[in-house]
Order: sequence, then C-alpha cells, then structure tokens
Amino acid sequence: MTTEKQFIRPGTIEEAVQTAQLHISSFAYLAGGTDVVVNKFQGNDNSECLIDITGIKELNSVFIDGDFLKIGSLVRLDDLKHHDLISDNFLALLEAANAVASPMLRKTATIGGNLLCENRCAFFNQSAWWREAVGLCLKCDGDICIATGGKKACFSKFVSDTAPVLISLNTSIEVQDLHNSSIVPLESIYTGDGIAPRNLSKTALIRYIIIPLNQVFRTIFKKLRPREAVDFTSLTTAVSLFNSNKIKIVIGGVDPKPVIVEGNIDDDKELIISAALRKCRIVDNDYYSRTYRKEMIRVFLEQSFLELIN
Amino acid sequence: MKQVTYIVNGKKHSVLVNEHEMLSTVIRENIGLTGTKIGCSQGSCGACTVLVNNEPVLSCITPALRYDGATITTIEGIAQNGELHKLQEKFVEKGAIQCGFCTPGMVITALDFVSKHPNPTIGEIKEAISGNVCRCTGYKKIIEAIVEFANGKTTTSKDNIRVSKTVGVGRPYIEASKKAQGLADYADDYKLKDALHVKFLRSTYAHAYIESIETDEAERLPGVRYVAMGSELPITFGVLPISQDETAMAIKKTRYIGEIVAAVAADTEDIAAEACKLIKVKYRPIKEFLTIKESLNDIGLHEKIHSYGKFNNNIHKKAELRFGDQEQGLNDAEVVSTMSFDFEGISHGFTEPHAASAYWDENGLTLISATQVTHYLQRALAKVMEVPLSRVRVIKLYVGGGFGGKGDPFPHEMIVAHIARKTGKSVKVCLTREEVFLTNHGRHPSKMTIKLGADYDGTLKVLDADIAIDGGAYGSFGVVTSYYNGVLLQAPYKLSNFGFRTYRVYTNKPQCGAMRGHGAVNSRFAVESLIDDIAHKIKINPVALRMKNFLDSNTLTVGHYRITSNGSRESIQKVAVQSEWDDKHGKLEYGHGLGVGCGFFISGSALPIIWNELPQSTVHLKVDFDGRVLVSSGANDIGQGSDTMLAIIVAEVLGISMDKIFVLAADTLLTPVDLGSYSSRVTFMAGNAAKDAAENLKKEIAEAISGKKHIATIELNFSDDTVFSNDKTVVLPWMEAIEILTANRGAVSVSGKYISPKLGGDFKGAGAGLSPSYSFGACVAEVKVDTKTGHVKLLNVWGAHDCGKALNPLAVEGQLEGSWHMGIGQALSEEMRYYNGLLVNNNFLDYKIPTSLDTPDIHTNIIETIDPEGPFGAKECGEGALHPVIPAIANAIFDAVGIRVTKLPIMSEDVLALIKHKDKVEEKILSK
Repeated sequence: MTTEKQFIRPGTIEEAVQTAQLHISSFAYLAGGTDVVVNKFQGNDNSECLIDITGIKELNSVFIDGDFLKIGSLVRLDDLKHHDLISDNFLALLEAANAVASPMLRKTATIGGNLLCENRCAFFNQSAWWREAVGLCLKCDGDICIATGGKKACFSKFVSDTAPVLISLNTSIEVQDLHNSSIVPLESIYTGDGIAPRNLSKTALIRYIIIPLNQVFRTIFKKLRPREAVDFTSLTTAVSLFNSNKIKIVIGGVDPKPVIVEGNIDDDKELIISAALRKCRIVDNDYYSRTYRKEMIRVFLEQSFLELIN
Repeated sequence: MKQVTYIVNGKKHSVLVNEHEMLSTVIRENIGLTGTKIGCSQGSCGACTVLVNNEPVLSCITPALRYDGATITTIEGIAQNGELHKLQEKFVEKGAIQCGFCTPGMVITALDFVSKHPNPTIGEIKEAISGNVCRCTGYKKIIEAIVEFANGKTTTSKDNIRVSKTVGVGRPYIEASKKAQGLADYADDYKLKDALHVKFLRSTYAHAYIESIETDEAERLPGVRYVAMGSELPITFGVLPISQDETAMAIKKTRYIGEIVAAVAADTEDIAAEACKLIKVKYRPIKEFLTIKESLNDIGLHEKIHSYGKFNNNIHKKAELRFGDQEQGLNDAEVVSTMSFDFEGISHGFTEPHAASAYWDENGLTLISATQVTHYLQRALAKVMEVPLSRVRVIKLYVGGGFGGKGDPFPHEMIVAHIARKTGKSVKVCLTREEVFLTNHGRHPSKMTIKLGADYDGTLKVLDADIAIDGGAYGSFGVVTSYYNGVLLQAPYKLSNFGFRTYRVYTNKPQCGAMRGHGAVNSRFAVESLIDDIAHKIKINPVALRMKNFLDSNTLTVGHYRITSNGSRESIQKVAVQSEWDDKHGKLEYGHGLGVGCGFFISGSALPIIWNELPQSTVHLKVDFDGRVLVSSGANDIGQGSDTMLAIIVAEVLGISMDKIFVLAADTLLTPVDLGSYSSRVTFMAGNAAKDAAENLKKEIAEAISGKKHIATIELNFSDDTVFSNDKTVVLPWMEAIEILTANRGAVSVSGKYISPKLGGDFKGAGAGLSPSYSFGACVAEVKVDTKTGHVKLLNVWGAHDCGKALNPLAVEGQLEGSWHMGIGQALSEEMRYYNGLLVNNNFLDYKIPTSLDTPDIHTNIIETIDPEGPFGAKECGEGALHPVIPAIANAIFDAVGIRVTKLPIMSEDVLALIKHKDKVEEKILSK
C-alpha cells in the first residue's frame, strides 16, 4: 500500500540532490508536479519517494547576470509574465509559456518542469489497465511501438512549448548534480530516444535557465492544438532571427526531441523547410494525423518567415 | 502516514495523511468538505480548485504534504456569516449555475482572477476560466456573472420579483445558493457509516471467453471484504424491455474492452484497487467486430456478439418506415441532392462521475445514485436482486449533469447493491473518469446516405434515408435511437414522400445509448446539409427555402405526428435578422461565411418505455397547518432545473410565493412515479401533473373557504399570497386560508397527473417519436476558415428555440446555451476514438470539450408559441436546440470556402483537404 512511500521537501538544491541519492532506486523530483502526479495516477511513474523541490527558494529568481538573463527553474509559468526582464527581451517566451495547458495549471507548473516534461504518446499516457489492454508499448516495457504498428523505436513526442523558444534563443541551462554543476546548451539534454528522452543524470536538477541577451532580433512562436487552452502541443515552432542574420528554427511536438535547423535569413527557405521536414520523425500518436502535422510544419515555417521579415 | 495541520476556512485541522495523498482527497475525506469536487483527477477540469495561501491550486493533482501548515479556503469558506460572497450572488442571479458540479472550482478560479485583475475584459475572463470545464452553461452566464461582479454591479433584489406572477419570470434555481456554496450533496458526497469501497476489474479483450478467474490472492489481501463475479448476478437488465441484454458483470464472455469482469469491496479504495490487480483472468479471444460494416455482414463461422436474432450477423435492430414511393419521387424530383455522411461517437461529458452507494436494512435495499431515472433503476434493481419492487428504494441527490448518460440502469449500481447484501455493510463506488468514458452510452457513431429531392421552385418533395448506427456491445436505448434517426426527419418540413431504413448493429465496443437530442442529431445534420446544397443548386436563399417548406401549426406530418404549436418561422426569421443574413450570406470575403440550420424535437415520448397504464407523471402536493406546500415528484432534476420548474408551476396556480414551496423529488419511496428525465419530457409531463395537482389543491382550498364563508368557489381568486373574492368581501391571507382548509381535517394531500393523449397512426412503428408536442428552432453560425491550415474559427452563434412558453426564461436560456455549446463540441472537436476496440481518449484532456476560449459569442432567443397542451403553454427546451447548430456551422463553412463537410467532427485536416481538392478541380476547369 502506501506505508513505505515517502514525501520529502528539501530546502536547498544540495539537500535535494543528496536526498535523491539516498533514494536513488525509486524517487522522482516534483516541481509543480502537474506532469509527474498524473503519470503516477496512471502508473507511469511508480516512484516510492517524491522529492518536492518547490521549497527551494533560490530557484525562484529572475535576474540579469552579465550578458545573460537567468531564470530560476522553479519560476512558475504564470509568473514569467510578471518579470519585465522577460517581457522586454523575450516576448516569444511569454507566448510559449502562456500556450502551455490552462491558466490554473500554469500557476503550479514551473519552467524547469516544462523543459523536463515527459514525452507523450496516445498509447503511453494511459492507465496501467489501458496499457495492458493495448499490449504494452516500448515506453512501458513492451516489445514494440504501437503507434507505428511495430517499430522497435519509441517515437513519443516532445511536448514542451517553452523549450523550442529557449533553444532558438541559444539558451543554456545550469545543471546541478551531486558533486558538480555544469552549464550546457539546453538542446544537448534531449536524446531523441522516446523511452529515455533526456540524458541528464537521474539526480541532476536544473538550477538556472540562461538566455543570452542582445543576440536575437525577433522570435516567432506558433503552436498547433485542437483547442485554445488545456491541450498539449501537436506542433510547436519557434523561429529566431539573430542580429547576425542567422535563423534558428526549433520544432516541437513532432519528434522525440526538439528538431533544430539553422540557416541564414537570406537562404533559400524551401531548402530550410525541406531540411526540417526530413528531420522530423512524426508518427500517428496525436489528435491530428501524421500527414497533417507534417503539412503544418511547412505552413507554420512559411508564416513565421513572413512575420520575421515584416 | 504523516500528521499535517491546515487552517481550512479559518478552522484548524490536524489530520493524518498518506505520503502520496492528494489535497483534494484530504479535504473531502479527512476534513469532510465535499464542496471541492473531483471531476478528472488530472487537472483538466478545474472542479477541484481551492485557494492555498491565497493562490488557486488544482487540489486533485496537488500532494497534500506540500502544504503542511497552509491556510486553505474551499468553496465552503467563501460565504461569510450566512451571506453569499458578491461573486456567488452573481453566479446565482445570472443563472450561471445549472448542475453545480463545476461551480465550486469556477467560483474560486473567478474569485482569484478578479481579485488580481479588477477590470477584466471578456477576453481575459474567457482566458482565466479556460481550464475549468462546464458542460451545462456554454459559459455565457458564467462570464456574465463574472463581468457584473468585476464591474461591481449590484445584485438585483429578489424582492423585485412579483409574487403574483411566477410563470415567465426568470429566476435562479431554488437550490442555486446551496450549489454556489458547495453545500449541495452529490452521490459521492453522501457518507455512510463504515462503508466498503468497490473497484472493478475490467476486461482487456474486446470479445473473449472467460476461461477462468482466480480470486484467491485478492481475497487474501488484508482489508478485502468481498470479491464478486458475474455468475453471482445472472439476471439480465436494460432500460428497454426489448433489450434486456446486459448483466452486471461479464458471464462466460466479454463483449468490449472495459466490461466489468469482477468487483472487489474493501476497506479502502486503494486496497480494492490493489486487490483487482491480484485477480487472474484467463481469456480466450474470439473474432471481434469493431465496425458497422463488419457487423452488418454475414459473419461466417465466427461467433455473434449476442446469440439471439435469426440472421448470421450482428444486426441488433432494423427499423424501417415508408410513406410513398421514394424511388419514384426521386425520379420525379427536378433536383436531387445525395450525400453520404460519417459521424464519430460522442460522450455526454458530464462533469460528475457516476457514483452510487447501497445498503440493506429492514426496508430492503436503499440505493443512492447519480441517476436520471430513479423509476427504471428501481425496476432494474428489483429484477436483478430478485426482490419485490416494494423492497427497493432509489434516491437521487444532486446530479452533476446527465445529458442522457445517466439514463440507464448501470452495472455498478447492481454490483454495489449485491455486495451490500452479501456483506451486510454499506457499499459505495465512484467511477474514475476513464471508467465513465468506458461506461459510455453516448451518441452512436453513424453512417448514412440520404437523398433529398425538390422542385426548382424550392418545394421539398421526397426524402430517403439509409442509416446504420454502431450500438456497441449492448442494447441500451438503441431501438429507440434506431427509429429516431429516421422518424424525426418528417418535420419541421412538409414532406409527403418520406422513407428511411436504420440498422443498429452490435460491435465489441462500449455501448451507445441516448444523448441530448437523442437519435436525430446526426441525421438532422445530414438533412440540413442537403437542404443547403439544394438551395445552392437552385440558387434560392437557404433561409427562404426553409421558410417555404416549414410545416404549419396544427397539422399532421406524413407519419401522423400531431404538430400543435410551431415556431419554426419565428425562429429562423429571428436569427436571420439578428445575424444580418441577407446582407452577409454569400457576400462575405472568401474564408468568412454564414450558415443556417433548423431543428425539431419531441417534448417527451407519448408512450412509456415499459408498457403500463400508469400516468406519465404524477405529482403529490401536501399542505399542513404551517402553510408550506410540499411538492413531491419522481422527476429527476439533473441540473436542468426541473425542481424549480415544479415549484414555479405550483406557486403560479396557488398564487403564493416561492418560499412557501418545498420540492421533494426523485426518491422512489417518498415520491410518486415519474418516468424520469429523458426524451425532454419533464417540463411538459411532470409540469402538467404539477399544474393538475395544484389546481386540485386550489379546488380543495376554495371549497373549504366556500363552506366557511358562504361564497361560491367561482368567486375566489388566488394571488399575492392571498385568497380573495371578486367583490373583496372575503380577503384571506394564505395562512388564514390554510387554517380554514385544515380545520377539523389536518394536513391535506392531493394528487395530479399527466396522461398523454392517444396519438399517432395504426401502422407498425407509428409510436416512434410520438409526442404530445414538438419543439422547433433555428441557428445561424458565423465562421472564419483559415485556408492555409483548414482551421475553423467559430465567431458567432445566433440561436432561437420555440419552447412554447418559458416558465423560467433564465433556465430556458441556460438550456439553450448549453445545448448549442454541446453541439459546437460535436461539430468541431469531440469524438470517441478507438484503437482496436480500445477507447483512446478516455479523459478530459484528450476528449475535446470546447473550453471557454473555443466557445463563440452566443446570442440567445426564446420563441414563445404557447402550446395548447403544455403547462402554461410550455414545451421542451433541453435537447432540441442542439440540432440546428451543427449543420449551421457546416453550412457556414460552405458559405466561407465552398466545401461541403460530411464528416463529424469537422477536422482542420479534412477542411484543408477539401479546399485543396476544390481548388484543384477549379484549376482543371479553368485550364480547359
């Protein structure tokens, strides 16, 4: 039953990672928890120990540090809009944050949690009973990917809305682990493997999200979803035009990881779009069909290019 | 377990909490504040919202231990010192509360929002509540309430409502204040001492033999008190006498994924759930049938889903009626439109999950359940439990929406009754949202081909419909649905040549049944699309074409429906004028369009489901020395406001104020039989019975006064809480009148009834769709279509509905707006998706009920035609309004981009594909 379960609220990040190490066999970090808790209900997360990190005060700040804006990983999505530093510099990040879930969920969900949100699939985000009935997919210890009708790879989709914008802005993250902290490009933590979509060590936590200032001229964010609230993404695109005329395109919702294509504003857009389409491994695991989402990548990118220029 | 301390609504609570317990459970179960509702357990519906340290939190996904020491405000803590908060007052006043299940979360969400955004725009309000699902109101009245609260508009004093006039005055539901405070008890809020909790093991196979079930391990788990299996409850049941094809749990074989195979009763829900995992079932799968096509065909050597039926297929019912020769009619028609349509299944999406509790005592079985039909549930329980009807009592508390989905007797109700008898203990169950979706009984997935013929002058001549509907694994209301798909096409237009054939098939999926607008929603969509197509072909304005063909009042349809009042013309004219139809239709820029649709529905079925000679409705009134009139009725208020309707009618007849009325409803022991809340029958039938009862009481009072005061009864008037003679020589305040009535007699009880007149033809099938009165309506929709993405943005819906007479205009508006909202969902986003018979989108995240942001501006019009037989002229308003809105949207898309959508829901990708196809064809034509 529930007797051996634990719920621990560390006060510092160091305490959190040490607690994690102590419970290394079965723990989960809980930031807002809007993702983890539902996964627990569905039996997709069976951690015995929940380490609730929301009491770590130092991760709630937003400040400028030299040429960078630093956002604490526990800043709630709803709170981002209260920081002029963000609205003055990175409006697209606010658009992305406001496109996540619903207002009430955004009052609990954090930006760090959104970056680490578990990949989703129509055949995985289900109750244990349901997954047994469908025959267990690769992501829950089955033998094949059900969405693709039998492939041996998992194509659960990457669903963070803020990550594509942040990656397009060349964002890094400061990762704190047991004995060290490191700063790595945000995009580097995403593996593309739907089963293990991130390569962070199990005990690691994101301390800060670090966005370079004064590099990007403009970012265009777009999200495809059936309803205007609540829904996870079916396709997210973020296109940033840098002052150097470089463009960085990041696409979410259509692959196990954010898909990145870089170029220059003067490049042949058709070539850029073709490159993006080639990289997205879209499968039928969403409200919209695979072919439609693929088609919409082109539409979204074409519209984004136009908006960037105008 | 850990001890935590909260200050909840100002009171300190120290409670022991499981480490991974959610805050909602602690608030409801440990602290006992059940105003906080659990609708989805995934943060998608907002019903569980509470304030923690003054911040709104979705308590169903918030660990309780996170907030040790916190100050929590639940809905019960919003009103102070017996006074509603101004926002609650606005929710009550504006009619923002129907079933009330979303209300606690909605009020708390809105309260927090307005406190931080004192002057919000409507757009900001829509955004703020976009994570709170309301299935009843279409959000319109909720938004109005929040706007008025934010603007500091004072609440209209209730004193302004004139006592002498009750009918026709808009008023909140009598229980609205209770619902606004979270004090209304729903089935899962009902506490029984030391109750066992039930969880179910459900089949993982669509069609399979159960070879063995091993329960030993489950039974050994500490805390498990009973494990039940199908063989213990072998008696079949179903809502229709001709479809008693379901058992409480699968016996020998399962017919859909999700069917209950075993049930465990334990000390806690967690233990019961754990025990279910320990039950080992060995299945032997057999050929499953998942599509209409498969089930229509001969199945060869495979096994049928149900063994009965003379043919070697899975057809459950064939319904066919023909008036005239359709083939000849179509040959003779000057213009014919033929289209094939495809509809996905739809869920009711009520926010309160099914829940029930049962116990046995010296009075036999008592079952408390979230049901629309206490009466049929009583019958089914008596049958399955093998006890006399007199030993079964069914009680309905407040119900968080039904829309047809709580209209059948259900397996979980049979099972808790059974386990309660076996264990001698109280037993309760509350289904998860996934289980609610699996229980289904929603709108049938359907396929149909319909041909409509007309003359060039726009006169409709002939209609022929060929329909197949996917019933899932059991019968439910399906035989009625089969007929309704066809018969309800014989109006609102004059048709002398009309025929249909419907096949309902069994498939190995959760069963379908009745849902708002029962049976006729999909075929109405088809016909209104065809009419639009014909109008386009012969270049007649679609509004004018409809006007030309409407049936008149006081006429018969081709299938002998007696049409009395008929507000079709007024309805369509109203929405045409409001939407500036003549200036806009066909004249807006590409991508922007207007469409129209009409509808028609029954005000209750003239025939009962179970043939008997009981009245359709009986209402009892009792008045005692205290002057209060007790109205007892078996009618089930499921959030549509029927309790208030009964009170209004009685108050109106007796000329007394509403505070002198007490409504006791839907308790099969205490209230007289009413057939239940389905087929939009309650206002017409229970309303008429209440009126009859009130008139009988009035007569009793008049006779008593006549004897005492020596005045003719005909001289007496009842108004303004007074009984007075024409010449005012007798003027008696209500209490004095009651003193005279009860002197030497005591309390007086009277009864009233409604019996439907004999209606219809004498041919086979003539009874289907017969109603003492019919409602009519029209909608215009305005859309913008993004031609690059295919996305349809619904901008406006103008709706008008002929409800005969709005007894309570506020409630009628609420029903209409809720119907249109539900139709919008079916039109643009909702569908039940299956993968090999397994329901994929079984939750409020993946089943796409339109949020407040997806809901357009709705413009509501009540049309009154004063039906000759309705109570004060009233007829239905809760279902029929849904019909016209869906085709209006599709026809607007045609007006916008010239494509005809024949599949619901209207997916962006289908719209885009159709636009591309049309462009290609036009390109080809141009190149030639």
